[in-house]
Amino acid sequence: MRSLGVVALVFALTLGSQRATAQAPAAKSGDAGTSGVANGKRAFATAGCVACHGRQGEGTASGIQIAPPPLELPALINYVREPTGKMPPFGSGAVSDQQLSDIYAFLKSVAPPPSAGESLTGNGDNGKKLFLAYGCFECHGRQGAGASTGPRIGPPAISFAAVLRYVRAPSGQMPPYTTKVVSDQELADIYTYLKSLPPPSPAADIPLLNQ
Amino acid sequence: MIRDYVKWDDRPVSLQGFSESAVRAYKIATTPPMMPVALVADHELQEYAVADGANLSVPKLTMTSPPVGDSGAVAEVARLLVAAENPVLVTDRVARTPAGLAGLIELAETLQAPVLDRNGRMNFPTRHPLNHTERGSAAIANADVIVGLELTDFWSTVNAVQGQVNPVVRSTVKPGTKLVSITANDLYIKSNYQDFQRYAAVDLAIAADAEATLPSLIDAVKRQITDDRKHTFADRGAKLAAAHTQAMKAGREAAASGWDASPISTARMSSEIWAQIKDEDWSLVSNCQFVSRWPLRLWDFNKHYHYIGAEGGYGVGYGAPAAVGAALANRKHGRLTVSIQNDGDLMFAPGVLWTAAHHRIPLLIVMHNNRAYHQELMQVQIMADRHNRGITNASIGSVLVDPAIDYSKLAQGMGLHAEGPISDPKDLAPAIRRAIAVVKGGDPALVDVLTQPR
Repeated sequence: MRSLGVVALVFALTLGSQRATAQAPAAKSGDAGTSGVANGKRAFATAGCVACHGRQGEGTASGIQIAPPPLELPALINYVREPTGKMPPFGSGAVSDQQLSDIYAFLKSVAPPPSAGESLTGNGDNGKKLFLAYGCFECHGRQGAGASTGPRIGPPAISFAAVLRYVRAPSGQMPPYTTKVVSDQELADIYTYLKSLPPPSPAADIPLLNQ
Repeated sequence: MIRDYVKWDDRPVSLQGFSESAVRAYKIATTPPMMPVALVADHELQEYAVADGANLSVPKLTMTSPPVGDSGAVAEVARLLVAAENPVLVTDRVARTPAGLAGLIELAETLQAPVLDRNGRMNFPTRHPLNHTERGSAAIANADVIVGLELTDFWSTVNAVQGQVNPVVRSTVKPGTKLVSITANDLYIKSNYQDFQRYAAVDLAIAADAEATLPSLIDAVKRQITDDRKHTFADRGAKLAAAHTQAMKAGREAAASGWDASPISTARMSSEIWAQIKDEDWSLVSNCQFVSRWPLRLWDFNKHYHYIGAEGGYGVGYGAPAAVGAALANRKHGRLTVSIQNDGDLMFAPGVLWTAAHHRIPLLIVMHNNRAYHQELMQVQIMADRHNRGITNASIGSVLVDPAIDYSKLAQGMGLHAEGPISDPKDLAPAIRRAIAVVKGGDPALVDVLTQPR
């Protein structure tokens, strides 16, 4: 049976597979203070994150750019523990919550300045048209609800800046979309449309999902 | 012409020769690895009268015992599994019979080892706490021993390809992870469509039928387990059960996404079907791959006939005839047979609907009608992007619109009860109930559902 593979989109925060060397020194600081950043830089290297994401979180062919982090810290910790893409999981024994907090601070500190496109304002109505015309729905569903071919992106859990970076240089099976075929403004429109979609109801509230 | 597609073929030139070839053909076809065979009987053989006094006989049929793993190699696999801290069993086309399902459960429970099921067959219960299919990448990354059982694609189990334009291959396992393969496919590889996949560099390869090898492997494992290991296994099992519960919950949360959408989500469609069949003696006779595997993620599969498995080779057009064949096999058992039928697949042999109606084969067909094949689109987009052509024409040749196909009318024309197309999820349950009433009366029925792409 041929494997289709799952497109991990921006959640594919591949931190590498060097789990045998993942024990980093205990970190003290979780904020963006100097010691937290320094500890985070050290933990980022010793946990093996650099193998896929590069020394400054700039991304490589094996892992996406994660500086600045595309997720808020609690979501990032959850993802690292149980990733849904091709990234291996890292338990708290391999990299602690404190270390992840420091890594988060480190990644924020080394993030490049935002590009001009990141400040664009989108048009949701046009974004909906583009979402269908450009075929985004074929992997992510017509309302961005996700499928085996692509994760849920409606509403998106990450910033427009992170989407912009990922769409230009994805790491999973998603094709790269250059500015030649999808402009920054069009991506802003699509993002605005996706942001307008309601979040799903909890499964516990749906009887058919509890049978 | 068909030689590349079959395991053996013959064209006997006499009646006695045909008799012997037929017995031989049956033996070859049903010896693992089981594959089709072909006999050609030309018209002379069929039509010439049998000479008076012809001494014809059908030879005795003695079934060939399936190939079982070498005892030394099996003992070594058992040693690796018992000593491992994080062993993983990966299954694909293991369970040929109910004994395969039971054997796999016993092996997994004895070791308290997770099972990742590629679902080429109905191998392992979906709600068993050791079924970790939904958290497969985590289990593989953490494994120190991986045993593939009739695993068609071992390579992609332990490797990942990232990137489309300049793909990068990376291993998904830790350095030093032991890889073991038990498969009858090592005894016979012949394929004109490369379904044997990429070569997997394993540490121990046992050329044997996995189901037939399970009893000796289980015995060998039990002989090597010490009390200390039993405690370790129990602790591991508790953690795995908790992770399984968490993965199931995550699956349900994902299913809730787009719950009320129109076109209807494949998770919603699968849940609506399950609500109507879960208290029946049911059998799903279609591949779940193109509906995001939702039935396997949401339904309680626990009997060998609950799932037909996958066709192998990624063939389009197999689904509808296979479903009717399986429904025919299920008829004498009185099972409620269900097929989630892909629209593009039905375009290849729609006449099978008439066959089902004509022969009164009870089968509930629920159309996954996304009005497209949705298969090679990403590759087309990549190339269009690379050549700066724009991507709005990438769906040409991939969609089934203009005109949209009315599968309900198609089925009605073939003599089936049929409803649809249904685009409002609230209309699904009553339509499925009405169709099931027809199926329980002994006839096929079709419900056409307009769905999300996957």
